[in-house]
Amino acid sequence: MEKIKRVNINNISKKFMIGRNNNLGALERFLSLFSGREPKKLIYALKNVSFNAHSGEIVGLIGDNGSGKSTLLRIIAGVYYPDGGEVAINGKVVSLINLTVGLKERLTMRENIFLVASLFGTSHAEIKKRFDEVVKFSELGDFVNTKIYQFSAGMLQRLAFSIAIYSNPNILLLDEVFEVGDEDFKKRSANRIKEMVKNGVCVFLASHDMEMVTKYCDRVIRMEKGEIKEIIYPEDFKKLIP
Amino acid sequence: MINFQERIKKIRSAVDLSLQLGKVEFKLRNEGSYLGIFWYLLNPLLTFGLLFLVFSDRLGSDIPRYALYLLLGVIMFNFFQSSTIESATSILKDYRWVIKSINFSREALVASIVLKNLFSHSFELLFFILVLLFFKISLVGILFYLVILFLLCLFTFGISLILSSLTVYFVDMESIWSFAVRLLWLGTPIFYTIAGQKRLYSINLLNPMYYFITVARDVVVYTRMPSFSMVLVMIFFSLISLFVGLFVFNILRNKFAEKI
Repeated sequence: MEKIKRVNINNISKKFMIGRNNNLGALERFLSLFSGREPKKLIYALKNVSFNAHSGEIVGLIGDNGSGKSTLLRIIAGVYYPDGGEVAINGKVVSLINLTVGLKERLTMRENIFLVASLFGTSHAEIKKRFDEVVKFSELGDFVNTKIYQFSAGMLQRLAFSIAIYSNPNILLLDEVFEVGDEDFKKRSANRIKEMVKNGVCVFLASHDMEMVTKYCDRVIRMEKGEIKEIIYPEDFKKLIP
Repeated sequence: MINFQERIKKIRSAVDLSLQLGKVEFKLRNEGSYLGIFWYLLNPLLTFGLLFLVFSDRLGSDIPRYALYLLLGVIMFNFFQSSTIESATSILKDYRWVIKSINFSREALVASIVLKNLFSHSFELLFFILVLLFFKISLVGILFYLVILFLLCLFTFGISLILSSLTVYFVDMESIWSFAVRLLWLGTPIFYTIAGQKRLYSINLLNPMYYFITVARDVVVYTRMPSFSMVLVMIFFSLISLFVGLFVFNILRNKFAEKI
């Protein structure tokens, strides 16, 4: 299968202004114009980051907390915009940056599937078509008409994960969520993702779990203080596992 | 060509999402209560009832068909008020983490709030139709009202877009708007008439809600042709609000996920 360039990131940077100026009311903001400089701190979450990713590969993102993994995922997702550099995304992105986000606990599982899949950009007709597959994969068929506040955390994860992977992504972004639920579901979700990758989906996996990263990824990007420190290929994966 | 098709696809997906979110919000509002619809009908109806009791013999005594005059004003303003106040809060309160995690049409979020309130408004409208029937007034005006309501939706959507994006930057926008909309409620001839009051009339020439409510009353309550200039200004306010709303929203939207 021909490789398609799905993500092209060229020299991007992202900065955040940390200071008291956030969360101000209108009057406070107006007064702050006259009250002199507020203490501010400029933090670079990403600095000069460049790389490409293609269809059919799993790219790992590792690094300490605050190294810029989630910011990078959010830029690929189109949630954040870079302050410098260029980002070209080719295909539909589905992001599981927070696994259960979007689910409404007072709605039934059926309603949640329609809601979250719509948030992922799936048309109503397409959701209808794939509804049974989502339910079957989640193995929650007995609870389709149950309000999800009665679900356990594991059931919620299974539901969210099933919706995401059946939302037809070309690029799938996973933040610590490659393996969810019980052992059987973990195995099935990993297999399903491998199958999607074989069919040309590009997956990004941000994680602290080196075993998981080395098990599934085709290459691993190690980040440190917002910069790419190194790109590690499978032949060097052993250095990631102590 | 591909670009055009992509754009159409995006718009369709945003419309799908707006409907989906609108439906969800409507359901959640009524969740767990068989009297759900009754509860939110109660607010405009109580307002109407109270104002009618207090003013029908005074401010309203010179206004023909005062009950209908008042009720239509109350439910139209209620639609505008609820939609805009909710828009000034929902992005921050209910969808903070969704916005931080998923890239979806943010406009759909605002559209869904207007849609939800449109669902509620349709029940109020149903009640209004019953009152029209009670007073044996022709229902033909309701057909024209649907056009006015469509324009009011555009206007409300535009204002809601501006408010929801400003809320991200000014945390007290909800309080400011609640106060502003209260002033607007008092300044708009809802329970009184401005006939013969020069100063109030001049102020209301700048008040978009005055045009929507006056045109709707002409058509529905008095079954007569509204003034052409009033209709033109109403259309102007709808379109200008929509375009300015989209413009402001598009400028500010890039920073939503970071600021909230």
